[in-house]
Amino acid sequence: MSTDTDGSRQTVFLPEAPSLSMLYLNAAATAARRRISGARPATGLPDARHGLRGVKADVEKLTAFQHLLGETAGDFLPSGFIHALAFPVAMSVLNRDDFPLPLLGMIHLRNRADQYRAVHFSESLEIVAWVENLRGHRAGSLVDLVAEVRDNDGVLRWKGVSSYLAKGFFLPGVDKPGVDTDGVQGGGPETPFSPPVPTALWALGVDTGRNYAGVSGDFNPIHLSVLSAKALGLKRSIAHGMYLASRALAEVGPARSEAFTWEVMFEAPVFLPARVSLEISTSRSAGGHWDRSDFTGWNPRSGRRHFRGSVATLD
Amino acid sequence: MPEAALSPEEGHEQQGQHAPHAGVRKAVVIGGNRIPFARSGGAYTRSSNQDMLTAALDGLIARFGLQEERLGEVAAGAVLKHSRHFNLTREAVLGSALSAETPAYDLQQACATGLETVLGLANKIKLGQIDSAVAGGVDSASDAPIAVSEGLREVLLDLNRAKTLPARLKVLSRLRPKDIAPDAPDTGEPRTGLSMGEHQALTTAQWKITREAQDELAYNSHRNLAAAYDRGFFDDLLTPYRGLTRDSNLRPDTSLEKLATLKPVFGKTLGTEATMTAGNSTPLTDGAATVLLGSEEWADERGLPKLATIVDGEAAAVDFVHGKDGLLMAPAFAVPRLLARNGLTLADFDFFEIHEAFAGTVLSTLAAWEDEDFGRSRLGLPGAFGSIDRSRLNVNGSSLAAGHPFAATGGRIVASLAKMLHDRRRVDGRPARGLISICAAGGQGVVAVLEAYPAAEGVQA
Repeated sequence: MSTDTDGSRQTVFLPEAPSLSMLYLNAAATAARRRISGARPATGLPDARHGLRGVKADVEKLTAFQHLLGETAGDFLPSGFIHALAFPVAMSVLNRDDFPLPLLGMIHLRNRADQYRAVHFSESLEIVAWVENLRGHRAGSLVDLVAEVRDNDGVLRWKGVSSYLAKGFFLPGVDKPGVDTDGVQGGGPETPFSPPVPTALWALGVDTGRNYAGVSGDFNPIHLSVLSAKALGLKRSIAHGMYLASRALAEVGPARSEAFTWEVMFEAPVFLPARVSLEISTSRSAGGHWDRSDFTGWNPRSGRRHFRGSVATLD
Repeated sequence: MPEAALSPEEGHEQQGQHAPHAGVRKAVVIGGNRIPFARSGGAYTRSSNQDMLTAALDGLIARFGLQEERLGEVAAGAVLKHSRHFNLTREAVLGSALSAETPAYDLQQACATGLETVLGLANKIKLGQIDSAVAGGVDSASDAPIAVSEGLREVLLDLNRAKTLPARLKVLSRLRPKDIAPDAPDTGEPRTGLSMGEHQALTTAQWKITREAQDELAYNSHRNLAAAYDRGFFDDLLTPYRGLTRDSNLRPDTSLEKLATLKPVFGKTLGTEATMTAGNSTPLTDGAATVLLGSEEWADERGLPKLATIVDGEAAAVDFVHGKDGLLMAPAFAVPRLLARNGLTLADFDFFEIHEAFAGTVLSTLAAWEDEDFGRSRLGLPGAFGSIDRSRLNVNGSSLAAGHPFAATGGRIVASLAKMLHDRRRVDGRPARGLISICAAGGQGVVAVLEAYPAAEGVQA
């Protein structure tokens, strides 16, 4: 483990990729310890950044990811695959003893990923992750988990910001805002949603969570089975948000240029098995070139919106 | 023409003195792109036909700036294809950077698939139906579709039709353990049960092709392909995929001595010496190839190169089932017909691209053309059809070295030959000319003539 200092923040370079299952186990142990000892967690966010160098995609995993999400198995990494590559490093920050919120049970509310240039699978990457922007939410506390991916020349190629809600967890000194200022919703939708004409229908089997866990490495128990989800208080297992978002990105298709930003807001969980209606609308520039695509996913029976988002050119 | 007896006189009577393309516009080869071919079970093991075809197509699009272009048509195919990929080529187009408004169709003619897509699309361009097209093909021996057994298939279909639980149980009770065994595709001929290699072994023995001659052809294929890579010939014909930058079957360091040590694999029960080895037969391979075609105007409007013109093509088939001709001998009939129609002889060609399904296939075809009796009795000629200058044969290697992903081979050959013709330009005051010959399962063959562009004297491309 080595450290670099960047201004006031220190980057702790990990010797190897952290194991997500160990992180989840450790998170469970930390939660139990805090419950038993009554120890008060820290109230601020850790300054430290976690880094990992020499990260390379495994081609077989890449192909499996591409096939599951409906991408053509090409040589460049889907944005969602880069998210999955960075995920263990990002999770290790949330797993620090000085991180004040409980990792298990945190809800992924929003994700934004900017891809500045396509990343070839053979490239050696450096991932650095940290947390920032701790703020109140009417349902708990919100925090942004940031991951940056750089190439061997130190060029920033990809940046992801995941916003998580620790529901029912209020930290002293962090105010509850009256109105959400950044569009992140924790409760019901702000405006009534009337479903548009769908452009696609996804039939998600009960194994959707397990399959995505297999290609992304995210074995969070809430996605794996009815039993493991029930243990964490859910009635059934739910689809990974990033599975839904990556699939929507794949359906936007190759029209997206090499540099694009991809954003998704998760509203209601998709309990498995499920059918999800999808609408993708594309807008083009005056010259007829692709400009952006907006997507919305909802439950065709209840009409409840599961997620919405966009893919847009990055200037 | 049941006896394939076609004299040049008859040919001219039927077809007229002029080549059939007179009066229609030209179809030109603008360029090509393929991914390196990989031995099966290698770098592309998990890649599907659609993945590989899209990779080759996207490389072509990038090379010629075709992003968001609506092309006239894209045609490609795969020999080993799951029925759920019925729209393989259209799906590849949708997954590519081409305009989603580009139509596409699938074609399948065994190993001739790729060349047949080129000929069919070239004809549409010549007739003015389309201005631009991509032809191609792909095959994966690694990711081959596997069907369920006939027994299980029938049970599953009947089960779907059964309405009640007792009816369903009755259908299920028909299942036997043997029905569980899957039905994997093989290269056997349905009507003879013989594999392609065993068929070729019969032909190789019939034409008395020696082991040494086959090994020498294989050796030349590797040597020529390696030299072509070394001098950068494939730099603008290929995009890397999954870490491969060269065909993984290529053995630059192979030698006649090494090839001579390999044990025969086909024709071991014929009573004659078995001569066909893994070295002088093509291995199972994964890969994809594409060719960009267009009218002269379409290419000029975009400032794209015009390498060669598709002059003419011909298909033939032989009655191999009861051994009248060898399974892979159809090109031996197709080429004389094609040349007669165009008023050409073997001496009029600067390049011969004869697909090396097996070294024995190439050598048997050449032997048949050199045979007086074959020329008279089977081709209806006064004597032997002719012989070729061997130094013009497969000069940048062929399938023995590159590998042979069935439907991809036609695209590989057309793109490479077009580039060779363009580099040679003119010979003896006429455009450089090349002949392509591809044999296919089912006793078929497709052949074609290409000429360097420009055809007119003194004009520079």
